[in-house]
Amino acid sequence: MFAFAVARRYLLSNPAQTALLIAGVALGVTAFVFITALIQGLAIRLTDDVTANSAHVSLEPLTRVARVLPSPDADVASVALVSTFQRRQIRAWASTVALLRSQASVSAISPQISGSAFLVKGEAVAPVAVTAIDPSGLDAISPISTEIVRGDAGLGADGILIGVRLAENLGLSAGQPVLFRTDRGIDRLLTVRGIFETGLQSLDERVAYLSLQTARPLFRLPEGVTNIEVKLVDPHRAREVAAFLHEATGLRATSWQESNANLENGLAAQAQTGTLIQTFSLISVLIGISSALSLSANRHRGEIGIMRAFGVSKRFIASVFVLQGLLIGMVGAGIGCAAGFALCSWLATLTKPDGSMVLPIAPSEGGYIAVIVLTTLGAVLASVIPARSAARLDPLEAIQQ
Amino acid sequence: MSAVLDARGIGMTFRNGDEPTDVLKGVDLMLEPGELAALLGASGSGKSTLLSIVGLLLRPTTGTITIAGQPIEGLSEVERALFRNRRLGFIFQFHHLLPDFTATENVAFPAAAPAGGISPAMRSRARDLLARVGLADRMDFPATRLSGGQKQRVAIARALMNNPELVLADEPTGSLDRVAAEQVLDLMRQVNREDKATFLICTHDEQVAARCTRRITLRDGRVEGASRSDGLSG
Repeated sequence: MFAFAVARRYLLSNPAQTALLIAGVALGVTAFVFITALIQGLAIRLTDDVTANSAHVSLEPLTRVARVLPSPDADVASVALVSTFQRRQIRAWASTVALLRSQASVSAISPQISGSAFLVKGEAVAPVAVTAIDPSGLDAISPISTEIVRGDAGLGADGILIGVRLAENLGLSAGQPVLFRTDRGIDRLLTVRGIFETGLQSLDERVAYLSLQTARPLFRLPEGVTNIEVKLVDPHRAREVAAFLHEATGLRATSWQESNANLENGLAAQAQTGTLIQTFSLISVLIGISSALSLSANRHRGEIGIMRAFGVSKRFIASVFVLQGLLIGMVGAGIGCAAGFALCSWLATLTKPDGSMVLPIAPSEGGYIAVIVLTTLGAVLASVIPARSAARLDPLEAIQQ
Repeated sequence: MSAVLDARGIGMTFRNGDEPTDVLKGVDLMLEPGELAALLGASGSGKSTLLSIVGLLLRPTTGTITIAGQPIEGLSEVERALFRNRRLGFIFQFHHLLPDFTATENVAFPAAAPAGGISPAMRSRARDLLARVGLADRMDFPATRLSGGQKQRVAIARALMNNPELVLADEPTGSLDRVAAEQVLDLMRQVNREDKATFLICTHDEQVAARCTRRITLRDGRVEGASRSDGLSG
């Protein structure tokens, strides 16, 4: 294609300007890739943190049920949601667990008794949120045994696992007894089997783990459980699975997204901010291309005039400039993607003293295909204005100048 | 033999605000095949405007033009561009060669652009033309490495690339020194004689006009006089 040859020669005729132009495009694309990789990396890390250490779907009994209210009008029925005024528990939890085990989307199941209690050590009293689980499934939802820093994770018949801050507050160490007082007014002396450290203050200071067997008499639940926690193969399907489980069991099913609505809102706001920055960086790139090609069209006025005089079509002239835009966009986007990937990969290697990343960046999530397509299409669009003005040049005026 | 150019009653009025200016006032001009005609006149006499109208770069306000038997009036912009490309050749004072292309590529350009590339036949013709204008040893030189006279000779070869019936030249020696100008004039006369190509040369230079076989003088938008000679007096 001859127009391509002309476009290429025009670009090569001023290598310094072309190099600067491509560098400008590449810089904008690098910024785009960096922002995308950072925002995606942050979203992945936050999502992973939440989904790795908590259930993807929680099943609980309904706290309110629909009741038909008495009405003087026989044709009109009024329905209200009213409290059950009953102990929150899932009595038929075994059948629910059986149903969950039959689902391919479910990767782990943890029937639990959750409740409130106090730990008493001498004069010191600390409230704790209690999670009672089957010891064989201790790590099913959150990896506790790997977080044990003192003692071990063996709960046994009278064992309790507590967080490192709670242990410090009460002056407890592994192997020591502690008085456990439930919200049902039952006291029992338990032994601290292990002390865990998750790094999350809310867990390390307020959470304690017991075995289901130990918890049943303490919370007066000889048969049922208060909740069933479920992990999924794909956490992003949690909403869909929760809806299915609610239909199938009649229990309240809450996805991790519902439980962490603030996280979702935060990620969405962050993504919008990122989109804004990406849009501005692309716009500045496109303005640069458009103005540089306008200057090029002006510099080549005489030649364009001659081409027009010789009957070369306006389409040919326009295509020379559109092809320049295309070349600049493609080369700039390619270099920018390579530079962006290199930058993000290097940043991903930087770690803090505790081993965590300085920036939660995901080099593979730089939106490379999107930025190449957007930049190339944008560059073509940005070249349309100079291309049209070049094609519309009056050959007489152009030749005489 | 039918005329290459038959322009009748050509009038051109430009508007400067509300003020109309009549640049051409009913010009009649006829060129026979093989003529080497000089279009003379002082600045503002309308000679460049007439050349632009004959070259289909401007539409006249009044009058009709027929080139090589083809009436021009009814042609669309695209058809006029196609006509210019296939049947007219242009030589301007400023050659405006494509600086990053070789002499051969510049000459082939009028044929290559519509075709989408330079075919071997186009390249061969371009090289033949360059040899004829005395640039056999500069065929693969980029335009930027040619002298002013050499560039204008490339421009002449470019004008001849598509075998035009009429070559229009606007002050073709205006930007050249005397020696280069003489060489370019000799070349145009040679092409005119050998190819029987018809030339209309717009100039204010009497020495250029003296080398032509016909003089057409414009004054105040009208043909003041026309004469024929053997073109050897220069």
